[in-house]
Amino acid sequence: MRRLRISVDRAKCVASTLCVHTAPAVFALDATGKSSVVNPAGDTEEHILAAAEGCPVSAIVVEDADTGERLFP
Amino acid sequence: MPVHDDLSAPEVIADPYPYFHQLRAEDPVHWNPKWGGWILTRYDDVQWAFQDRRLSADRMTPFMRGLPPHEAEELRPSFDIFSRWMVFTDPPTHTRLRMLVNKAFTPRRVEGLRSRIQAIVDELLDALSDRRQIELIRDFAYILPVTVIAELLGVPPHDRELIKRCSDEITLFIFGAIGVEDRRQRAQHALLELVAYLRGIIEARRRAPRDDLISALLAAKERDDLLSEEEIIATCVLILFGGHETTTNLISSSVLALLRHPDQMRLLRDNPQLITTAVEEFLRYDGPSKAMVRFALEDCELRGKQIRAGQRLLLVQSAANRDPEQFPDPDRLDITRQPNPHVAFGYGIHFCLGAPLARLETQIAINTILRRLPGLRLATEHLEWHPTIVSRALTALPVAF
Ligand code: HEM
Ligand code: SF4
Repeated sequence: MRRLRISVDRAKCVASTLCVHTAPAVFALDATGKSSVVNPAGDTEEHILAAAEGCPVSAIVVEDADTGERLFP
Repeated sequence: MPVHDDLSAPEVIADPYPYFHQLRAEDPVHWNPKWGGWILTRYDDVQWAFQDRRLSADRMTPFMRGLPPHEAEELRPSFDIFSRWMVFTDPPTHTRLRMLVNKAFTPRRVEGLRSRIQAIVDELLDALSDRRQIELIRDFAYILPVTVIAELLGVPPHDRELIKRCSDEITLFIFGAIGVEDRRQRAQHALLELVAYLRGIIEARRRAPRDDLISALLAAKERDDLLSEEEIIATCVLILFGGHETTTNLISSSVLALLRHPDQMRLLRDNPQLITTAVEEFLRYDGPSKAMVRFALEDCELRGKQIRAGQRLLLVQSAANRDPEQFPDPDRLDITRQPNPHVAFGYGIHFCLGAPLARLETQIAINTILRRLPGLRLATEHLEWHPTIVSRALTALPVAF
């Protein structure tokens, strides 16, 4: 499994919690209710990409950590 | 306190912003005796209230409990539908209902509808091309969203009229129009008509699935039995209902905002790529959802005020979106405003499912109108707004070109 680099744009995040439900070991809400990445290797690539796609405000970016290739969006 | 501490006073309906500014400045967590609840007008308080789990989105149960028993019994069929709307549920029910449809409304999926939406917009404007004056809502802003949402769900285009009529009536129930007698009975009648109609479509899709949302919901039910038939119906009604009225109102309030700010109109016409930030600004400046209601499940304290379990709160999005602590020069329309973290689509777990779709439809509609109707101007100075507390909706927008 390739290593992923995942980031959440906190200015965009609207605290919907959808990514947390899709990939609970990867995303968690912080004290302000916004999402942040707690473990980029916490779930399958499929689930992580589904979480990124499911974000209603496109706040999640996923890249290949080694090649830098953009996987989402 | 404001001279008229009344959410439904005619001058507050016509222009709610002075009232909300005054509340925010003088008493941001305000008990309004007439409405019978707390009014929250600060950005950070509204955001807090959208997120705090001690506040429930279930507005139906307290409403039904408050009715006299015979009326509650009479309205049971409506309650059976509305209580299954994700927007009125708390987790874990909410999470299950939302996750099942969320995939169909992601920004990427919605982007796939771009050319189809553009085609519908062009057809609607083609049909108006020999006119010099139109009523923009009736002739355009009303038709676009209902056409798009009906297509997405898989409802045949010729049944659009039925959907439009039913959802107008349902609006009377949900948005609590002021001064309409029998509104709940009328709404229930329309709701049951829509439900019966949808049952027919669902039956047809069960026999012969298509590439539409109803078929996808049925497949999800078959696959893991996560959704009951009643929930499918309630979800379809919610999406049909939520999917058009609000977008209609955003398109019309956006056009009005531009007509009243000719410099911004010129700027956008000359720079159509500004449409993304422009639509965010229309949402912030005069968005279709003025406010949302929550009920306290437990006692909580906010800015020294004691909110008791069972009391209701009005989260005023229109006030939050013009909070000067969050938005510099909040009463100014600036189509390039950035950042623009408005709460027009709500915030937290109920953040609007249809936001990506509403955004795309409005972006395409406004840019196409500006391109194709260069002489656009207001054809009246007498505009009226529907007298409801929670939504901001023009009754008509006559324009000439
Ligand atoms: C400009 C247009 C729109 C506005 C301003 C708007 C506004 C909102 C707001 C404020 C909420 C949050 C409700 C709450 O917190 O209690 C919401 C939820 C919702 N909206 Fe929209 N909406 C719009 C368009 C749409 C469209 C096009 C659809 C159809 C797909 C839609 C479907 C929904 C649904 C299903 C929910 C419930 C989401 C949930 O509970 O998780 N909306 N909308
Ligand atoms: S899905 Fe998007 S908006 Fe929702 S919590 Fe995750 S990052 Fe935030």
